Amino acid sequence: MKTRILMLLAVMLTMVVLPAVAAAQTELVVWHAYRGKERTAFEAAVKAYNDAHAGKVTVNTLAVPYDAYADKISAAVPRGKGPDVFIYAQDRLGGWVEAGGTIEPIDFYLDQATIDRFIPTTLAAMEYQGNTYGLPMNYKVVTMIYNKALVKTPPRTSGELVKVAKSLTDVAAGRFGLAYSYGDFYYHSALMNAFGGGVFENGRDPKLDTPENIRSLELMMTWYDTDGILPAEPSSTLITSLFNQGKAAIVFSGPWFLSEIADDIDYGLATLPTIDEAGGAPMKPWMTVEGVYVAQPSQHKDEAFDFVLAITGLDAGKIMALQGRQTPANKLVYDDPEVAADPVLKAFRAQVEFAVPMPNFAEMTMVWSPATTAMNSIVRKTTSPSAGRGAEGRGWSGWRAWRK
Amino acid sequence: MQHSSTRQVLVGALVALAVGVLLIGGVLRVARLTVVRGATEQNAVVTAASVSQVLAQVRAADGDLQAVARGLVDRLEDVDRIRVIDSGKRLLAASTDAADLTAGEVPRRLGREEKAWFDQAKELEANHRTNISEGNARKDEILRMAVAQSQLELVLPLFAGDTVDGSVQVLTSAVVPRVPGPRLLPLAVVAGAFLVLVALSVLLKGRWLFAGGLVLLVVGLWAFAALGLAGLAAVRHDVEAAIAHHALEVRDAVGLEAPGTTLDITAWNVDRFGAPRGTFDRAGTVATETVDAGLAEGGRRFGQAAGLLGVFALVIYYWVGAGWTVRTWQALRKHHTAYGFVLPAMIGMIVLVFFPFAYGVVLSFTNQTLYNVNQPLYDLWVGIDNYIDILSDVAVWHTGEDGSRIINFQNFYWTLGFTILWTVSNVSIGVSLGLILALILNTKNLAFRPFYRIILILPWAVPNYITALIWKGMFHRQFGVINQVIAMFGGEPIAWFDAWHTSFFAVLATNAWLSFPFMMVVSLGALQAISSDLYEAARVDGASRWQQFWFVTLPSIKPALVPAVILSVVWTFNMFNIIYLVSQGEPAGATEILITDAYKIAFEQYRYGYAAAYSVVIFLILMIYGVWQNRVTRATEGI
Repeated sequence: MKTRILMLLAVMLTMVVLPAVAAAQTELVVWHAYRGKERTAFEAAVKAYNDAHAGKVTVNTLAVPYDAYADKISAAVPRGKGPDVFIYAQDRLGGWVEAGGTIEPIDFYLDQATIDRFIPTTLAAMEYQGNTYGLPMNYKVVTMIYNKALVKTPPRTSGELVKVAKSLTDVAAGRFGLAYSYGDFYYHSALMNAFGGGVFENGRDPKLDTPENIRSLELMMTWYDTDGILPAEPSSTLITSLFNQGKAAIVFSGPWFLSEIADDIDYGLATLPTIDEAGGAPMKPWMTVEGVYVAQPSQHKDEAFDFVLAITGLDAGKIMALQGRQTPANKLVYDDPEVAADPVLKAFRAQVEFAVPMPNFAEMTMVWSPATTAMNSIVRKTTSPSAGRGAEGRGWSGWRAWRK
Repeated sequence: MQHSSTRQVLVGALVALAVGVLLIGGVLRVARLTVVRGATEQNAVVTAASVSQVLAQVRAADGDLQAVARGLVDRLEDVDRIRVIDSGKRLLAASTDAADLTAGEVPRRLGREEKAWFDQAKELEANHRTNISEGNARKDEILRMAVAQSQLELVLPLFAGDTVDGSVQVLTSAVVPRVPGPRLLPLAVVAGAFLVLVALSVLLKGRWLFAGGLVLLVVGLWAFAALGLAGLAAVRHDVEAAIAHHALEVRDAVGLEAPGTTLDITAWNVDRFGAPRGTFDRAGTVATETVDAGLAEGGRRFGQAAGLLGVFALVIYYWVGAGWTVRTWQALRKHHTAYGFVLPAMIGMIVLVFFPFAYGVVLSFTNQTLYNVNQPLYDLWVGIDNYIDILSDVAVWHTGEDGSRIINFQNFYWTLGFTILWTVSNVSIGVSLGLILALILNTKNLAFRPFYRIILILPWAVPNYITALIWKGMFHRQFGVINQVIAMFGGEPIAWFDAWHTSFFAVLATNAWLSFPFMMVVSLGALQAISSDLYEAARVDGASRWQQFWFVTLPSIKPALVPAVILSVVWTFNMFNIIYLVSQGEPAGATEILITDAYKIAFEQYRYGYAAAYSVVIFLILMIYGVWQNRVTRATEGI
């Protein structure tokens, strides 16, 4: 009997207290997929926000395992079971917008000062069909990473690159002047964009066999085949081990590669070279931009956007750059003396000037598989770049089926 | 069927007719309501589109939007409120809502709580752009927000030239077209059919009466559906005329308010995607052919639905008329404890197995993709198009420019052929290798037997994706151990994943490594169960070792081996991990098997309906195989 009365009291107490608490404080849930250092830095930035808004807004973060993350968003958010804010790279943006009910457009909130504080290409990655759906937080871009013991001055042009690489290549000994995943379309994009190529025509219709793309592939094959400066079948583990053994002088890769470099390797970063064959145009890699989005079913959109604004702001950016070793999309961060003194952050900031946001159209998923197939058969010389049109199989026209 | 009594046939026919009439009548009723509701909405669309057209012209001529909006609300009986949003400048450009005006005079900047209006305008802008760039009508250019039973809020794009830079919100009250009520003739026809059957039951007995009932049932339900559809068509023509009439009235009213504007009533008669419906011309005359063409499409869908429901009614007729209901009821009563015990398992099976399975089958008849995943399946119905698409593409190869034969590795039949090759070769290798090792291990007094056995089972114990990744590494062209061994003996390194046959060899080797331990364990168990008397008797009869194996060992282990082979065939047919991880379909999808192909269609191309159809095809192939295998071997009899 006594316990029953106690329980009743407890229930009544919660009924009285809970609404009071809820009215005073908004709870926001944020989903992300960061791990390790990046997670620590992100959580530190969120904590700083919480401290500044104590009593008004509390942001709770949830780290979702990456492999299930996208599907979890697709399934949970439109049904109102998801977070208020979530962080994801721009590549799924188009699909989520087309499916509907997932991401809140935020153009309404944007003012000129907000637009101006971001590196323009990173904000462009958040746009779909003329509407802006999120604010960019960090970007990841491929740049040139070289072994300082082997390369004194990093090459600035493709001519210099080939010359340096040739002098450092000894195939019999398994040494290569240059190593990158050239068979991977993501890495090839830097060359493709240098020649002015692309994968879409008329807006969003996939098309691979443009003259520019063919020329970029021919140059890649010259490096691999004629100049012989690249290893065969370069998987990411192979490139890492070659670089760590001092058997690869120059690598084209992104920030994820830096954590894998062995301690005894003294490495430097430099902007990707310009391409003589493309009239001196710079290599322009595709970059991925981690956007912060407000979930459409969220009950606290205004508060959620205020958080998005803060987490992509200067203070949060500094924490993520210095503690998380991330590269913020907020360009004001790079004016900070501590960030400006960091050679790695400086190098990525320089490279991003020559980066193209990876298309955020859902049609992009249709491109990967045929492009990979085409790249493989070109690298294996089963087709020449100009005849590499066999990739357009049944799956190729799949995107047409979407638009019915 | 000879058991069917007159009473059963009559009851069956009555029940089937009642069910058929209720279901088909229900569909007709829904269709009728949809037509009337659609016409009510279309009246609202016509009104709203006229408002949007006029306001766009007024704005282009720098007129007073607010004054015209107020005037339109006064003149148009079915318009209750108008709001104009300018998305380019983030303005509330005009509003006839009192509450809006207390917050500030128009035009004024939109407040934060008015964000949804801005977003609607931006959405319409993006949708219009998408429809134009894709050259079709896929995205809504009119947003519908149901407010109350008799009110409907429509949001239309506000055009500036060819582009959209704002929206017009029009709150309308319903103008319901008047239509004649449903007729009683179809019901009378059905009742007549039943009376004829009652009369027949005096003349005919048994199966003849059953057959007569069947004919009357089909004729009766068909007539019911056909008459109902004709009534629906008449309603449709009536409402189209009503919409045209409404458009003319609106034009007159708007013309009074804004005399200088160009008014085109055909431009107001658009569907939700902004595409013209073309059901009447500028003079308001109904275009009968366009309406009839729309009716033909609707009639086809209705015919499919009515046909399905009719078949359902016939099944009920057969069930009741042939006496199955009585027998089912008796069986349930007699064995009620048994069914009670089975019930929880049956519920579990229905929820966990049959429902997802049925959902997959239904999905296979739709064209659900990433883009329309939030739409109801009914709207995405494409019938058997997916199956036709998969099965009709028989061009496995085409001739290239230089006369060479180029195989299309993405073709279904190539993949099917490869899957069969993959299955047959894997199972043969697995069975023979497993059997040989089992025979060796079964040798009497073999030293270190437990040790060998553990070693040989190890490949099975290691998670197969780990094994797969290790093998993939071993087949690497430059750094793989296999090529290094080849190079050690002076051979040329092989690029394993370049040609389909070497790639096939690589996946085959991997899977053989994974599959023999299972066969070995099964065979070993069966071998140890064979009585040594049999061998002794064979030896006495002078049988050789080979004859002993062929006539004693094989027949004895067959009951254990055959189910294992059946299982193994199904597993290998759907052995996703090895293909997906080792060859990844290289080169160019040549070594893809059906299940990895289905996965890629679903989760790389996001064509869910098509992938579901693909999976159903895989299921059918395996089912046919299973039935055939059972027939041939009678394997299940031994179990």
